[in-house]
Amino acid sequence: MVNELLNPIIIIIVALATGFLLPIVDKKNKSFTVVLFFMALIWIGLIALNGVVNFSSGAVAVEVITAGISPPFSINLQFGLFESVIILATTLIAIMTAWLMLDQLKENVSTLVLFLIWVMGIDGMIMTRDIFNLFIFIEITAICSFVLTGFNHNSNALSAGFKAIIAGTLASSFFLLGVMFLYYQTGTLNIDDMVNNQSLITGVIGHAALVMVLTGVLIELKPYPINGWALDVYQSAPSGIAAMMSVSVSAAYLFVFYKLLPLFQAWVPMITLIAGLTFVVSNFIGLKQTVVKRLLGYSSVAQIALIIMAITLLNGKVSVSLLALITGGLFLNHLLAKSALFWLAGMLNKTHVAQWTNLKKSPVVLFLFGCLLAALVGLPPFPAFWAKWELMMQLATHQQHGWMLLVLLGSLLEAVYLLRWFSGSLNDVKDEESSSPIRINTVTLWLSTVALFVSGFTISHLMGVSITPLFAPILAALFLLLFDELTGKTKAGITCVIAVFYSYDILLHLTGINWIFGLMLLMGSCVFILGSMYRDEQRRGYFPLLLLLIMSLGTLLQAKTSLNFFYGWELMTMSSYLLMNCGKNALKSSFIYLIFSMGAAYFILFAFALVFAQTGTIQLDAMNTISQYQTLIFACFMIGFLIKLGGLGFHVWLPGVYSETEDDYTAILSGVVSKVGVFGLLMAGTHLGQTINDEMVFYVLGWLGVITALLGALMAVFQEDVKKLLAYSSIGQMGYIVACFALMNHLGWVTAMYLSVNHLLYKGLIFLAIAGVIYRTQTTLMYKMGGLLKNMPMSFFSALIGIIAISGVPPLLGFGGKWMLYNAMIEKGWYFQAGMAFFASAIAFLYLFRFIHTVFLGQRKSEHKELVEAPFSLLIPQVLLIIAIMVFSLNAKWLIQPLSDAVAVYYPSTLTWTGTFLQTSQGYWDGYLVMNVVTGVFLLPLIILLLVSTTTKIQKVKQFNIVYAAERPDKPETTHVAYNFYAFYEKALGFWVKPRATQFWNSVAEWSHTMGSACRILYTGNGQTYASLIVLFFVIIYFV
Amino acid sequence: MVIENILQTPLSNIVLITGFFLFTIGLWGVLTHSNIIRMIIGFSLISTGIHLVMISIGYLTNKTAPIINDEIKSELLTSVVDPVPSALVLTSIVISLGVTAVMLSYAIQIHQTKKTLSINDCSEMKW
Repeated sequence: MVNELLNPIIIIIVALATGFLLPIVDKKNKSFTVVLFFMALIWIGLIALNGVVNFSSGAVAVEVITAGISPPFSINLQFGLFESVIILATTLIAIMTAWLMLDQLKENVSTLVLFLIWVMGIDGMIMTRDIFNLFIFIEITAICSFVLTGFNHNSNALSAGFKAIIAGTLASSFFLLGVMFLYYQTGTLNIDDMVNNQSLITGVIGHAALVMVLTGVLIELKPYPINGWALDVYQSAPSGIAAMMSVSVSAAYLFVFYKLLPLFQAWVPMITLIAGLTFVVSNFIGLKQTVVKRLLGYSSVAQIALIIMAITLLNGKVSVSLLALITGGLFLNHLLAKSALFWLAGMLNKTHVAQWTNLKKSPVVLFLFGCLLAALVGLPPFPAFWAKWELMMQLATHQQHGWMLLVLLGSLLEAVYLLRWFSGSLNDVKDEESSSPIRINTVTLWLSTVALFVSGFTISHLMGVSITPLFAPILAALFLLLFDELTGKTKAGITCVIAVFYSYDILLHLTGINWIFGLMLLMGSCVFILGSMYRDEQRRGYFPLLLLLIMSLGTLLQAKTSLNFFYGWELMTMSSYLLMNCGKNALKSSFIYLIFSMGAAYFILFAFALVFAQTGTIQLDAMNTISQYQTLIFACFMIGFLIKLGGLGFHVWLPGVYSETEDDYTAILSGVVSKVGVFGLLMAGTHLGQTINDEMVFYVLGWLGVITALLGALMAVFQEDVKKLLAYSSIGQMGYIVACFALMNHLGWVTAMYLSVNHLLYKGLIFLAIAGVIYRTQTTLMYKMGGLLKNMPMSFFSALIGIIAISGVPPLLGFGGKWMLYNAMIEKGWYFQAGMAFFASAIAFLYLFRFIHTVFLGQRKSEHKELVEAPFSLLIPQVLLIIAIMVFSLNAKWLIQPLSDAVAVYYPSTLTWTGTFLQTSQGYWDGYLVMNVVTGVFLLPLIILLLVSTTTKIQKVKQFNIVYAAERPDKPETTHVAYNFYAFYEKALGFWVKPRATQFWNSVAEWSHTMGSACRILYTGNGQTYASLIVLFFVIIYFV
Repeated sequence: MVIENILQTPLSNIVLITGFFLFTIGLWGVLTHSNIIRMIIGFSLISTGIHLVMISIGYLTNKTAPIINDEIKSELLTSVVDPVPSALVLTSIVISLGVTAVMLSYAIQIHQTKKTLSINDCSEMKW
């Protein structure tokens, strides 16, 4: 009995019977109508669920035969794993949509009936194996879509609905004509029979018939440029209906396309081309779109096109289960995320993207919104991330490089407009309307989000990925999010404790370079978190994200496979981006960071895919066996990692982000996150370095490094904002590291790692010191500071130690770094580069002097008289960092020896030690001796000066000793010594540092937007234009 | 001469050609007339044309009606016309009736809300 009730044919019977019953019941009892309606939907869902359970455990697909006659003389339905999964997914979306729209739907019982029949039509399209029956289900679905689009008599929706009728009717006319001619030639209406007798489809009639059927199906799959009507529908239909159109109806058409695909083998390249064009063009146009639902429409069109591309490119080349994994992952992702976003757009009722602001006031909505967008963009751990990864790997394996680039370009464009929407929602706008917290029913959104997490988990499990290390960061962050009500300091403490234990555990499992970076990144983060206690605010969301960042670093360090590496990379990008916008808003520059990071990730993904194509495995250790495209792969890695560490040309995000984010987080960004790029470089270097014969790429990289060092330093010289000064300084420092890495020998790599550790120590120290100064003075402009030595001696001392270390003068470890740098370059024969690095170091003195002079020395502002030393919790990490700097300066061997050993695995060691005495091929250095000598040299004049100052009378310059020649300047800061400190140098060298990179990227952005506007002029809004395009589309397909 | 040719061509071909002719007229109407009612008439012509084409596909010259029962011997099965297209055409007619009804109700709604029947006035959304 139960089995009979779960027979798939019941889906159609239940829907039809309930459809007839509803109007009758409605006359008697309105509330029972709704119950009956949902019961029917749930029944359909249960049948599908039963199917999923049975078929996934290996049961054979059921064939339902109608009219008691076997096919082809009767209509047969097929109900297997694919069918049941799609029906279950679409029905669940339908149930949730109906629940959300219930108030509108139940006003008129016929709307309920239509909705039910709509669902039946979709399910019928999925199940039927008879092509004429398919036509009938298509028509049923289409008619219901038409009516439901315009059922609220909204003027725009009526226009859109009529355009949809024009397109839909043309599509079904073509389809029906095609079907009849196919029947004429093959003598059957059964799809499987038709496929088996394909040889009968010949001549002009056969060709025309196939083109007609194909056009009919393609129109409904909404390729560019014949999808203008669909976008209008997405924009104007009630949100729930638009959601169903975007996901459920599309699901049915995709499956129909898949069923009929064997008939269209000859057109596969063309379909791929159309889909590829649609994917890229829709995303270009999406850039220009400001209406939320239309934006989602463009994204929908693009996603469907991507799935079609995946099917046409891989069908027959990979196993059915793998294809199902890729397309299923992409589709499930689209289904859950897109429908939920349409619902959200409907519930919030904010038409334009610009209206989506102040979401920080409603953290729950923001969380859900963020998860849904992240899923759509294909970020981990959501299904699309895994599916896109697998898609890339398979495309690379089958040498589809052009298509890979196309997919990545389209994905990047989609990420731009979706994430821009998210970025805008973080904006705090002061206006009455949007600043109150949002109150909506989030149940369905929660269900979709949880389903996204679960399906992401399931797909990664199916791919055979070991899940625990990958999902642990997310679970830990979510767990910490539960305690978000606690005070900021408590949370900082908890985070620090968790991070310490986690780091300890991770470090036990690491060796070599990974261990060294583990020590740097993880222990460094732990030290910096201590500094985060200096603030009294609650800092909602900051600490869970910080934990996520640290644990994603752990994932990255532990990665044995390229997939784990990429996963950790993406997670790190995401968490570091979100952290930038916790508290203060660094929206504009952090958005640039995010987009650049997405681009970087795609370069890395492309490189990993090319490697996979040759090795057939995702194990990182197998990378050194590749024999093709080594230079290209290496270059892709380099671009990807250079973007993260702010290499010249890709640095445009960095100064803005560093200066605008929270001051303690800047220390983490500069000290820790930028080192991940270095880790990436070394990862690529250790695995690929040996395979590359062409030295050119290293040569270019080396020059890029030193030029970055030079221009970074030069740009730092001209900054007024202290954090921007330090940001440009970081860019310059990274330049040295890149140049050393490019040497590709033992000394070069040891120096690169040595400089990384140094930079972590001293730049972290300076950023923490300056965080205290900014906390007290409430400004970042240097000319507004000055003379703070008296108030904040400890911060001054930190900054002093920091700049002595950074400038590379004896006796601190920076000197060792510079010494090794020149040694390594000269050893390699890179004399010009060494000279340029030297020049850059000289310039560094300029900005470092300016920094220490204008912030801590000179005249103190009268309003700063009462300031006190930085908070205690900010000083603790500074003390720790100073101790580390001192220890490593006194005994450089403790630091250099482990680095040397780690690199010695790849290149034979060229360093020899005698006590504290370090010998390279070019010379020797004894850190201990240098320290003693320098201390002696400096101590002597210091004592003399102290003696002099106590015996003679010194008159200090006071604030009012300065005379304005009786005029009050209209820009008071221009009279300040710290303002435009190096005006003379700017005259001489300023042309070097014009914002050329920013101009370049701005023009790229502008060009992309222009491209979008150019592509969308075909969408005139006129139904007849759309009809003409459809006819033209048919003619072109026919003749090509 | 032309008339003779037409007289010699089988009935099904004439129906076929007429069907395509109607289809083309309908399509032309849809693409050139901006009045929604005229467009709907165009769509009706298209579907009627398709129905004629469908019937002509099933019809075989000099074959009898496909009424078969046990008494008729199996060889006779080859001498009847194909009944399937005729059956399909019925379904198709019903569907096109439904679509036309939806279109006409849209026309009514559009006229009520916009006070116009021109498709050109339905282009407020674009890009």
